[in-house]
Amino acid sequence: MFNKTVLRMTAHEAGRLRRRNLGIAVVALTVFGFASCGGSASTSTSAGVLRVANDAGFGGSETMDPYDGNRFWPAINMVFDRLIGVDKDFSPIPELADSWASNDAMTEWTLKLHAGVKFHDGSDFDSADVVYSIDRMIDPTFDSPVRAVLGIIDHVDAVDASTVKIVLSTAEADLPVLLADYRALMTPVDSLDTIGKTPVGTGPFSMQTFDPEGTTVLAANPNYFLGKPKLARIEIPAIADAQAATQALLGGQVDMLLTVGAKNESLFSDTSKFTTQHIVSGDWNGIDFRVDHKPFDDVRVRKALRIAVDRQKLADVVLGKDGGVVACDTPVWSGDPYRWDGDCAQDIEGAKKLLAEAGFPDGIDIEIFTSDVEDNFVDLVQAYQEQVKAAGIRVKITMADASGYWDNVWMKEPSFVTSWGQRPAPQVLNEVFRSTAAWNETGLIDTELDGLLDSARSTLDKGERAKQYQAIQQHLFDNSATFIPYHKTLVRAMSAKVKGVAPIVIDAVRWEQIQVD
Amino acid sequence: MTAYLLRRLAISLGVLAVMSVLVFLGVEALPGDACTALLGRSATATKLAQCRAANGLNASVSHRLIDWASGLLRGDLGFSIKRDKSVVDIVMPRLRNSLALATVSSLMAFPLAIVVGVWSARRKRTRVARVVDTVSLVLMTLPEFVTASVLWLLFSVWLPLLPGVTMVSSNASLLDILPNIWLPAITLALVVFAHVMRSMRASFLVTEERPFVEAARARGIAERIVVRRHILPAALPSPINVIAVTAAWLLTGTFVVEVVFNFPGLGRIAVDAISDRDTALILALTLFGLVVFIASSFVSDAVTRALDPRVRAQVAS
Repeated sequence: MFNKTVLRMTAHEAGRLRRRNLGIAVVALTVFGFASCGGSASTSTSAGVLRVANDAGFGGSETMDPYDGNRFWPAINMVFDRLIGVDKDFSPIPELADSWASNDAMTEWTLKLHAGVKFHDGSDFDSADVVYSIDRMIDPTFDSPVRAVLGIIDHVDAVDASTVKIVLSTAEADLPVLLADYRALMTPVDSLDTIGKTPVGTGPFSMQTFDPEGTTVLAANPNYFLGKPKLARIEIPAIADAQAATQALLGGQVDMLLTVGAKNESLFSDTSKFTTQHIVSGDWNGIDFRVDHKPFDDVRVRKALRIAVDRQKLADVVLGKDGGVVACDTPVWSGDPYRWDGDCAQDIEGAKKLLAEAGFPDGIDIEIFTSDVEDNFVDLVQAYQEQVKAAGIRVKITMADASGYWDNVWMKEPSFVTSWGQRPAPQVLNEVFRSTAAWNETGLIDTELDGLLDSARSTLDKGERAKQYQAIQQHLFDNSATFIPYHKTLVRAMSAKVKGVAPIVIDAVRWEQIQVD
Repeated sequence: MTAYLLRRLAISLGVLAVMSVLVFLGVEALPGDACTALLGRSATATKLAQCRAANGLNASVSHRLIDWASGLLRGDLGFSIKRDKSVVDIVMPRLRNSLALATVSSLMAFPLAIVVGVWSARRKRTRVARVVDTVSLVLMTLPEFVTASVLWLLFSVWLPLLPGVTMVSSNASLLDILPNIWLPAITLALVVFAHVMRSMRASFLVTEERPFVEAARARGIAERIVVRRHILPAALPSPINVIAVTAAWLLTGTFVVEVVFNFPGLGRIAVDAISDRDTALILALTLFGLVVFIASSFVSDAVTRALDPRVRAQVAS
């Protein structure tokens, strides 16, 4: 009996001891965690350090190779430079090239490089690096996305250490604009094997820690040839979820979100803490009608489908008030010097008349495929369906699975929703609307358009060229099979302590001029 | 007993094999494949063909399934096309983070839930017990993202004590991960606390009404001893079963909390893997989920058997 009691007491004591140890462990863990909060996870803005959230769109397989499809944007634009940059009005300005000139036929371009530019490792930047970089961009085996822009380059020659000659396979008066593409960045000779994770560029910031799943850290390049950066460091934390990124800015863990949804803008209305910028962009949504399917082969039907819409109302519904700038079926955005602003007010009677002439006096039934693969895709078709009812256009909406949309629906179904990012006029018109373009989404063969494009790109005088590009857009409004109602206005949100960010698309922002108070 | 364990092990392995085949076929049945998901709208015929050839997607379904299974037997979980990494390299750091999160949440929630459950049951008719009951009901019914957002607002914005969003990578050291674990852990702890506490309370109240408890009290045994030696052992199996299920959930079902706090655990990668048609990754995570549920069920049974002689008797017979 005695022994039993002693044993029971011992077990009881042991239990208490175990419970106490567990309690101590929990408390220690908690205190340690709280105490360590101040270390790596600072929640306050530090002067001289800019923290920009990144959406981790490639799930950790990001690379610093600017010509790779998985390029780590916008870090590539902090580490590398282009030959030619863009000004606030999107006209070409010198970056690594001081000047450029073409032959009369605009098939050969000679560029003079800026003297004394060095890579982050101290080596000189010269014409050999330009030849190497452009060769990689246009390499058909590598098939870089940049090739869609600069594929017209036949070859590049190094004339001397500071001069290169770019030879084109066709005339292009706007080659400087195309060279200002945000991915057309200069990389050092023979950097293929190292550039992905340990990049060496000439840009305002150099890579310190490459961690696309965590926080990538870039340090200022004090010898930057366009001026010493005002920041000491840029940190790029990966935050995949848009809502979590919003939390991070509200909680002071990051200083800048490149875009926030229009619905979230009001969260940053406290101007003592935040700044928001409305960026008129060239991003657009459209509805394509494949001309190899009836009735979209009839130009009258195509035009009726496009003029039956009140574009301003549609933009307001889909993007929110002031969420976009109306477009008259032109892919050229409002900030582009070649933009055509036509009159494309809703014309229900005109649409009915065109349909009747095309043999559809009682209206028409069409099916449009959409998906939630991107924002706005479903809203756009629903708003379109409502608006065109009055013209006798009855739209059946078919939802496609998001995965496989680009493979099974886009460019395959008779009618579908599309989207494109901002591109300069010569690029987007040749890349998407030329009859022979790989991304001619509607399959429209329009030799007249092709002739107009050839003429425009080989016209030396800029004023005359602008007229020709505007005529091309008017031609699209009359004939095209792509309905383009708007270009989107993006919202950028920042801490009020961030200064020096021009209200322009991020690809044109000068990172060395930004500062954090 | 050994026969019982062996039988359960055999059944578990059978379930794992059948589920792996079903998941493999399920992923195959979805539109598109890993290459269309990887290339998106730049999926030209040439690029698709190159991608499929490079990653062995042209082989028949059965061939690829056998390939995967034989790799598994060698300890090779395969390769993620989208992430350009071996599945082990992707899963292991996230598994460690999920285990850390589940451990911290469990330590916060389970002991407290048992204590509060008993306490609340013993004071069942008091106002404070009713308040605890109502609060736990609210915690149970609130969606996790609401609890998470409220906690974020409290501790990350109003009282900026804790980081609201994790900004270190999945393979960062545990010391770097730990400061980011508190808000997700507290969110999860609140959810599971409510479940376990209510289960403990209900089980305690039912057990308290049983004749053997009445007999113990009638014999004049001190209430403290009645609770510890008579009620608790009989009442605990039920909340322990709840703990087993919620512990498994803490390891495999925390997607929402991981997204809200950007926490690099297994939940988020599992959802991404499905949209990426990342078959090897989906299969690895499915296997892991199944192993966790089977293991938790084993542990729950073992603990129940240790506490409850009736179950021991049933198993023995």
